[in-house]
Amino acid sequence: MKKEDIMIELNDISMRFNLGIEKGFSLKQGFVDMFKKEKRKKEKNEFWALSNVNFKVKKGEVVGFIGSNGAGKSTLLKVVAGVMKPTKGVVLTYGNICPMIELGAGFDMQLTARENIYLNGAVMGYSKELIDEKFDEIVEFSELKDFLDVPVQNFSSGMVARLAFSVATIVNPEILIVDEILSVGDIAFQAKSEAKMMEMITGGTTVLYVSHSLEAIKKLCNKVVWIEHGEVQKIGDIAVCDEYMEFMSRK
Amino acid sequence: MTFFKNIMYSFKKYKFLLSQLVSRDFKVKYKRSILGIIWSLLYPILTMSVMALVFTKMFKMSTPGVNYLVYLMSGLVIFNYFNEASNLAMSSVVANFSLINKVYMPKYIFPLSKCLFVGINFLLTLIPLYAIIFITGTNVNIYHLLLPYMFFCLFLFTLGMGFILSAVSVFLRDMFYIYGVVITLWTYMTPIMYDISIIPENLLFIFKLNPIYWFIKFARDIILYNVIPGLNVWIYCGVFALGVLFLGMFVFKKTQDKFIYYV
Repeated sequence: MKKEDIMIELNDISMRFNLGIEKGFSLKQGFVDMFKKEKRKKEKNEFWALSNVNFKVKKGEVVGFIGSNGAGKSTLLKVVAGVMKPTKGVVLTYGNICPMIELGAGFDMQLTARENIYLNGAVMGYSKELIDEKFDEIVEFSELKDFLDVPVQNFSSGMVARLAFSVATIVNPEILIVDEILSVGDIAFQAKSEAKMMEMITGGTTVLYVSHSLEAIKKLCNKVVWIEHGEVQKIGDIAVCDEYMEFMSRK
Repeated sequence: MTFFKNIMYSFKKYKFLLSQLVSRDFKVKYKRSILGIIWSLLYPILTMSVMALVFTKMFKMSTPGVNYLVYLMSGLVIFNYFNEASNLAMSSVVANFSLINKVYMPKYIFPLSKCLFVGINFLLTLIPLYAIIFITGTNVNIYHLLLPYMFFCLFLFTLGMGFILSAVSVFLRDMFYIYGVVITLWTYMTPIMYDISIIPENLLFIFKLNPIYWFIKFARDIILYNVIPGLNVWIYCGVFALGVLFLGMFVFKKTQDKFIYYV
């Protein structure tokens, strides 16, 4: 494997959550925290969302992640996207990442659609030039031309989702992170958005794709990572899906 | 050196996001009001008028030799900047949790954008300040050109406080209430509406530990007393600004990776 072909490299990633953290949210607890930092960590009931995850993703690979609810798939995507820093281990990514984990991050409901395209674009890490250039494309795709100067709070939820989808999908990222295929809006737009996502996934970029639809995984992915209880159970081709199916039916 | 290089690189990369966040705040702030941005000019004048009325008529406050209105207004605009910016910066990280949880972006951008947003507003409030200066016939001298030094120190100091407060309030939500009390105390411990000469000698050192006292003194030396602030004032302003800024950056950098657990 040539070094330059690797797009994502996860070395021994572990991620710990403190389940008890929400409870003791007070001044007293805060002071105790400040002085007894080390001690308390041991006392608390810890939860390892990921433990010792290792894998590499090559350029152009479409990697599917499967596993039951709470297995750590979304946490893993967030670690790769840089949203969370792993407790242990190193993540190396080469190339710009487009995380389509949740759309419409940073929308301000009081602003107009036009203003939100720029704001959301900035949040997604686009440059001003890119948004200027793609602005018409975004508007056209979202089919919201007549509502450009209307505050988003007056939009229906479907319209908001359409706008968010259109902003998120104008880039050609080197690494695309997808948490379920998103199809938003009415029936016509659903088909359109699904087609757009398929186009992005199959367009030769490196993709990390989480889904509960094994059919979609089998159809799109050339590598499958099965995660259970924060640990990698198996990495392989789409045959892993069948083993996972068997495991789930035995449960 | 690499530290500063990293800051510059990150700044360049997120300049557009920063400008978007600041302009968002502006748009939202004046969205539904009829007078819009005029409020930025009107509001300080009106609050100053109320305070001037209360303190000159009820408490018979006066500042010998200088105009009380200018005295009050110069203190108010400076303290109001600090008050508003530090409060907004404090809640900025918690308020943007939904973003932090979804997309990667440097978290310092939230307190920074708030301090810049209120900073632009602060520059607007200089218009009513100078209006009062002209109306009262206060002498305007060439030393006014030195004021940006103090503005810059005030900004850095406030930014440092913003870093500290926003980081601490993630772990300790009580901070929002505690700081509300602290800022009230701080307001009265700062010679905004009274002259420092009424403070007893033995308590004076407490007042001089207050960084904002020095910022305000810098402004008043120039605006009211027509003198260049003494070297010690320059040094106090700079040292407090950089000291608190670096402390804030240190605290923020140390804690920012843990924010995500407290969402």
